[in-house]
Amino acid sequence: MRLNILIGGKAGQGINKVSQIVSRVLNKLGYYTFNYRDYPSLIRGGHNFNILSISNKKVGSYESKLDFIIGLDEKTVELHKKELKKEGVIIGCNEFCDIGRNANIAQAGALIKILGIENSALIEEIKKEFGENKESMDAAERGYKSKEAKFNLEKLKNKIEIMSGSQGISDGAINSGINLYLAYPMTPATAVMHELAAKEEKYGHIVFEAENEISVANAGLGASFVGAKVMIGSSGGGFDLMTEALSFQGMAEIPLVVYLASRPGPGTGVPTYSMQDDLEVALRGGHGEFPRVVIAPGDPIECIEKTNEAFYLSEKFNVLSIILSDKHLAESEFSTDRKPNKVLDVKVTRKVPGEGIVKATSYEHDKFGNTTESAQIAIEGTKRRIKTYEEIKKEVKRFQMIKIYGNKNAKNLVIGWGSTKTVILDALDAIDGSIETEKGKYKFLQVLYMKPMSDEIKKEIEKSNKVILVENNVTGQLGRLIKEKTGIAIKNRILKYDTRPFTSDELKEEILKAR
Amino acid sequence: MTTQKPEKKIDSVKSKDFPDSPNPKKSTGFVEIGTKEEITWCPGCPNFLVLAAWKNALAKLIKEGYKQEDFAMCTGIGCHPKIYDYLNISGVYGLHGRVLPVCLGMKLGNPNLKALGFSGDGDAYAEGMEHFIHAARFNADITYFVADNQNFALTTGQSTPTSALGYKSKAEPAGEYNMPLNPVKLALAAGASFIARVNPKDLVHTQEIIEKAIKHKGFAFVESVQDCLIFNMITKELVPLMYKVDNKDKKKAEELADEWDYNSKTGKIPIGIIYQENKPILEEKWPQLRKLRDKGVGWKNLK
Repeated sequence: MRLNILIGGKAGQGINKVSQIVSRVLNKLGYYTFNYRDYPSLIRGGHNFNILSISNKKVGSYESKLDFIIGLDEKTVELHKKELKKEGVIIGCNEFCDIGRNANIAQAGALIKILGIENSALIEEIKKEFGENKESMDAAERGYKSKEAKFNLEKLKNKIEIMSGSQGISDGAINSGINLYLAYPMTPATAVMHELAAKEEKYGHIVFEAENEISVANAGLGASFVGAKVMIGSSGGGFDLMTEALSFQGMAEIPLVVYLASRPGPGTGVPTYSMQDDLEVALRGGHGEFPRVVIAPGDPIECIEKTNEAFYLSEKFNVLSIILSDKHLAESEFSTDRKPNKVLDVKVTRKVPGEGIVKATSYEHDKFGNTTESAQIAIEGTKRRIKTYEEIKKEVKRFQMIKIYGNKNAKNLVIGWGSTKTVILDALDAIDGSIETEKGKYKFLQVLYMKPMSDEIKKEIEKSNKVILVENNVTGQLGRLIKEKTGIAIKNRILKYDTRPFTSDELKEEILKAR
Repeated sequence: MTTQKPEKKIDSVKSKDFPDSPNPKKSTGFVEIGTKEEITWCPGCPNFLVLAAWKNALAKLIKEGYKQEDFAMCTGIGCHPKIYDYLNISGVYGLHGRVLPVCLGMKLGNPNLKALGFSGDGDAYAEGMEHFIHAARFNADITYFVADNQNFALTTGQSTPTSALGYKSKAEPAGEYNMPLNPVKLALAAGASFIARVNPKDLVHTQEIIEKAIKHKGFAFVESVQDCLIFNMITKELVPLMYKVDNKDKKKAEELADEWDYNSKTGKIPIGIIYQENKPILEEKWPQLRKLRDKGVGWKNLK
C-alpha cells in the first residue's frame, strides 16, 4: 500500500502543520511516511507544497502520481490536478472557507476520515500541538464528518520516529560533544543552526552567528585551536567563502568539521530546491594539496553516525572533515526505525593554549611551529601531510564506507550517494518486489565515503554485468570520481538536474530502461 | 631564510602527540618572551621598536602575575605579523585579513585566554574591514594591534586604505586618488570600548599603552603610526604634531578622532588613549562562556 498526498497553499497557510499532524497520526498507527517540502524563496504568499508519501513498508521518497490533493488555496488544485490519479481525491478549501485560519485542520480531518482512521487519533495530535483549542478541535470534527471512509488503515506493529537530515546532523554533533557551531544563515544549511540553537540550553554548547562565512571558518579554527570541538556549516557561496580557511586548516592542522548542504546551480542558483552538484567543491575546495575527509550520509540515521565519525576523524588526525548533504536530505522528513550505531568517543587530547605554548600556522613551518621557506622543511611538511592521509585511509576501514543493498549476487548494479539513497531503494523495491529479497535482479551500492574512497567499489563494478549511475546533477560527479579512482567509466547514467529530487516511480522506469 | 632553534622549544599543532611543554603549568615570574628566530624585518624598521614594546609589556604583565601560557595571539600576513615568530607565546599565524575572527574563536573556545591580534593596515582595513567593525560590536576581550605604515610593504608598497592622497606606488603610478580612511573614527563609530594611537618611537609610552590595552576588559584597538623605511617615510613630519591624551569622554573622543585625517601634515595628532569605556563583554553575555570563566577552564577541560 502506498499513497501520495499533496498538501499545498500559500506560504504561511499552515502546510507543514497539516503534513506534520497527519504524519504523526499515521506513524502512531505504524505506517511509514516520507514528507517532501517544496517551497520557493519567499516568506508569505506564493505557492508551497508538501508531498506526504505513506506506506506500510519503508519509504524514503514520493511518487509522481498523486492520490490526494489538499488545496489550502484554489491555485494548488489548479496547478496539481494533472498529477492526480484517476481515482484520486481533491480536498479543496472552498467548503471550509468560513472556518478561517483552522480550515487546514478541517481538511486534515477530512483526509483522516477518508483514510478510515478514528477521529480521536487526530484530536490527540491536535491537542498536543495546540492544547485544548476548541476552534481547532471543532474544525477537525467538521472536516471528519464531511467525508466518507474510502480506505481502512489498520494498526501495524512498526515503531516509527520522524527525523530530518538536519536533525540527524545536529544529533550527531551533540553525540560527539560539540562545543561550538558557527554559521551564517544560508538555505539549506540553516536548519542545522536552528536545531542546535534550540538545544543550546539542554546540552550547553554555543551556536554563534558570525558576520560572514569567512569569519565563521576562521573563528572555528581559532576555537578549535584552543581546544573546543567545533563544527561550521554553510551552503553554496557561503561554503566558497570558507574555502580560504579550509586551505589554512590544511597547513595549520587544526581539527575542523564542516557541514556542507548543497543547493542547485552556480551563483545563487535555485536556493530552496535540491541538487547534488557540490561534490567536487567538497573534494577540492581550497588551494594547495592537503588531506581531508568527505562523507555523504544518505538518511537521517546515517547523518547521526557519519557526523560522529567526522568529529572523531578530525580530532584524531587534526584533519578537515566535510559532511556533504543537500536540501532534499536536510529538510525532508523521514521515518526511521533503526537505532544509530554506538557513539564514538571524541576526545581532545592535544595540548592547547593555557596548558603550555602551542603554535599553529598557515605558513610552512618547522617542527616548533615557526615559519620556514626552507626547501627541505617544505618537503618534510608535505610528506607529513600525505602520511596523515595514509593513516586516515587505514583508520576509516573500520567504518561503513559503502553499503550494499539487495541481492548480493545480482548482476545489475545501481550506484548512488547522498539523498538519492532512499529513492533508489524505493525504486528497486518496486522492481524486485522487495529490496530485501535474495532473488532480486538488482543490487544497490551506496557510496558514503567520498574521500577516502573504498577499494570495494571497483570489485563490485567488475562483478556486475550492468552498472547504472544515479545522480542529481548534470555531469555525474560521483561517476567521474569513480573513474579517477578505478579507471572505469560508467556508461549508464541516470542524471536529473531540474533541481527537483527523483520520484521513485519515474526512477524505476529509468532503471528498467537502462541497457 | 634559515630557521634557528628558538630559545625555548615551541610546539606546533601536528598530528598525534605533542612533545612536553617546556613551560611550567604556573608561571614563576619572568620567562623569556622572545625567540631566537632570525628577524627578517628591514634593518631599522619600526617593527623592532614595536616588538620591544610588546616584549617589555608582556614581561611586565607576567611579572605581575599574568600567565605566559594564557596569552594566545593571532597574526595576519604582512611585515608586521612576522612578530608571530618572535614572541614566545601560543598563537596562530593566520590569514591576511582574518586575525579578528581567529581571536574571536579563541575567546569562544576558552574565554580565560588573553587574545592578542596583530595586523598591518592593509590586513586590518582592506581585507579584514568587516571583521574589524564586528569585533568592536561584539566587544570580546581582545587586544588588537595594528601597525599602520600606510602601505602594503611586504608586497612592495602598494596603496592601502590609509595611504595619503597622491601616494605613488608601482600599482598607483598616478598617485592615490582617494582620501584615507580614519580607523580611529571608525572604531569609535563601531563601538570599540578602548581606542588608542601610539608612536613606537616613544617606546615607553607605547609599552604603557599596550599594557593598558591588555588590561582593558573588552575590545581594545591600538593603532601604531609608523614609517615604512623602504616605501613610505611619513613620521618625520607627523611626530612633531603628536601630543599625548588620556581620555574617557565620548564627546571629546569624537573631537580627538577628527583632529587628524590621516592625510594632512599639519595640525595636531593625539596619541595615547583616545577613548575607553566599560561595557559588557561577549564572554559575560553568553551564559555558556560565563560558566567557563567561573571555572577558569576552556571547553577542553570542562568537566
